[in-house]
Amino acid sequence: MSKDALAARRRALKDAMMREEVEILVLFGNNWHADHLRYATDFGIQEGQGVALVREDGSITLILDDPAECERARAYSTCETIFAPALVAEAKKQLARAGNHNIAAAPYHLLPYGLLHGDKDLRVSDGAKIVERLLMNKMEVEIDAVRKAAALADEGYAIFRNAARPGRKDYELVAEMESFFRAKGVPENFMIVGVGGQEVRGMAPPGGKILKAGDMVTTELTPCYDGYYAQICRTLIVGEPSEAQHQAFAVYLEAMEAGIASVKAGVTAAHVAKAENDVFRKYGLGDYVTSEYTRVRGHGMGLFPDQKPAILEDVQITLEAGMTLIVHPNTYHPAVGYLVLGDSLVVRDGGHELLCGTPRELFSVPLQ
Amino acid sequence: MRRGLMAWDPAEVPASALADRRARLRAELAREGVDVFVAYTNIARGGAVWWLTGFTPYWNEGLLYAPADGEMIFATALSKRVAEWIISVMPAGEVTTTPRPAALIGERIAVDGAKRIGILELDDFPAGHAQAILQAAPGVELVDVTQAFARARNACDAVEHLLLTKADALAQAACAAVDVAQIEARAFIAPAESVARLGGAEECFTLVACDLGASRAFVRTESMGALGQTYAARVSLAYKGAWTRHVRSFAKAAPVQDQFNQAHAALMAFAPQPGEALGAAVARAFGPFGTVVNWGAEQPRGSYPLAPVANLAGSAQGFTASAPFVLDVEMEIGGRRWIGARIIGL
Repeated sequence: MSKDALAARRRALKDAMMREEVEILVLFGNNWHADHLRYATDFGIQEGQGVALVREDGSITLILDDPAECERARAYSTCETIFAPALVAEAKKQLARAGNHNIAAAPYHLLPYGLLHGDKDLRVSDGAKIVERLLMNKMEVEIDAVRKAAALADEGYAIFRNAARPGRKDYELVAEMESFFRAKGVPENFMIVGVGGQEVRGMAPPGGKILKAGDMVTTELTPCYDGYYAQICRTLIVGEPSEAQHQAFAVYLEAMEAGIASVKAGVTAAHVAKAENDVFRKYGLGDYVTSEYTRVRGHGMGLFPDQKPAILEDVQITLEAGMTLIVHPNTYHPAVGYLVLGDSLVVRDGGHELLCGTPRELFSVPLQ
Repeated sequence: MRRGLMAWDPAEVPASALADRRARLRAELAREGVDVFVAYTNIARGGAVWWLTGFTPYWNEGLLYAPADGEMIFATALSKRVAEWIISVMPAGEVTTTPRPAALIGERIAVDGAKRIGILELDDFPAGHAQAILQAAPGVELVDVTQAFARARNACDAVEHLLLTKADALAQAACAAVDVAQIEARAFIAPAESVARLGGAEECFTLVACDLGASRAFVRTESMGALGQTYAARVSLAYKGAWTRHVRSFAKAAPVQDQFNQAHAALMAFAPQPGEALGAAVARAFGPFGTVVNWGAEQPRGSYPLAPVANLAGSAQGFTASAPFVLDVEMEIGGRRWIGARIIGL
């Protein structure tokens, strides 16, 4: 990302540390949870683990336990970068050198055990309060990156539709997507798929299923730009959709549009989830908005593809202008199977800014 | 995240092979006087749990609990519906979903009456999970059993050998598929990704050192630019959980490419002689083509699918000469940098 954007992020982090009277912030990350580390360092970790020590004077030390990752970080990062096969030992050494400071860490529960325990236990507090709001509430420069990621998601779904045809295996569709995204400069993409009919209860990585006539093919595509993710969820039918598939899709479309229409700064995540779920309840499908059949009705996105707030009827987090979300009433439908539909957006005062441009259709691909 | 082919083929990974691995681990743990075993897994550190169960979570995290007797338990915060999928692709162990996997395992430890809990890589174990186990099973002792696991993991069995052979073939094919006619590194590397995943790679990381004359750093597509006079592709991939790497260097000038091809042929033919030190073997094999600047070897280590185990500086942290390893060699050939890597010992 641009130097100015990274500088703005670091200023925000420094201000948050000052407010919480934290002198050193320890940020931990790996390829699963790369967001905290990336916020401060702009390094998207791929292999091994990393720790960033962010000091109150603004200086940052990045410690990585993989030598190639360390070389990659040094190639473009502005942080002091240290290769340390014994990550915990090096981080402790650096912290000991700093003296007896107020230290916070995030994500706290993932922090290595050895960093907190040993010959001399470190007193480290949970740094969630410092980092979580920054990850959720984005600056315009961050929103612009999410916007670009959403455009890539739209482009990607067009590739996906063209790739889906009878006789192809599910992982072959993923191969086309990934090749397309690499050519576009996208290093990471969260993507799961579902192929089949009424028996399909969710999405997962591909298992080698062969697409056949009548199959519903569901996917979540989640490419990133400058580390920021945006998601799109769509369903297509191999061949012409059946009447049951059309009828089911109409419920999901109404639910998604109700959810999106309810989004504005000041409402809760629960409010959006209720707007979506009420549509299912209206059609007698209330059972299918429970955890038995669905995980969430949408979620935040940013440097992590599935960040807070989860869009659920029991989540009372208030949406604020600048949050980026996907609203997706994805769930199992008893007549046709697991069906997905979702668009990314930005929460704005009084409403939202839609980021996805792919038509909200139940797509079909020809049998020949 | 893992988004390539994830499927269990009993012909490739028979459950009996996983039972043999667990028996080896059980024997090593008994020598340490440890009652039960717990290992952490996520997409970056899936090596140990994969070795015992054949499974790596595609996202999120999980904990594997191996009691002294009985079925292993894989606990994860993924949903119940995802658990149904995990069961279909995980040959060994029961799957339990819970918002607090460590607490569940702690409760099971308490029920089992275990006192000495063997934790793989205790220093790197997530502190939140350790705390949850200690709260649910008060009075237990957490013991680091990384060395015991390493002894059990020491050998490469026939199953792993087969998977690595397939992974190596995919990695070679991916590196051969790069488009050298391209100007931009992204367009150059994208076909490699396609070939790897069409061949069934579970995961694939494609990186490029765009201008070896300026830097040997391999970067991701987000920071790639134009290709220089010499450049290199690095493909790291997993086939059914078995990881390898392949690196190949390229030159725009045909005479330089010929030199690079000779060095690559030496890499493909590389085989240490019986009793020969790895450094001596590297010098013997590559010396005729230029000056060896650096080399390193990687093998699976604990939860890490691949980790440095030996290098030019003489560091050898657990290198097992009898098991396959990824050899990475950097040379100066006619004043130009050349890098190559592949798995050795298959």
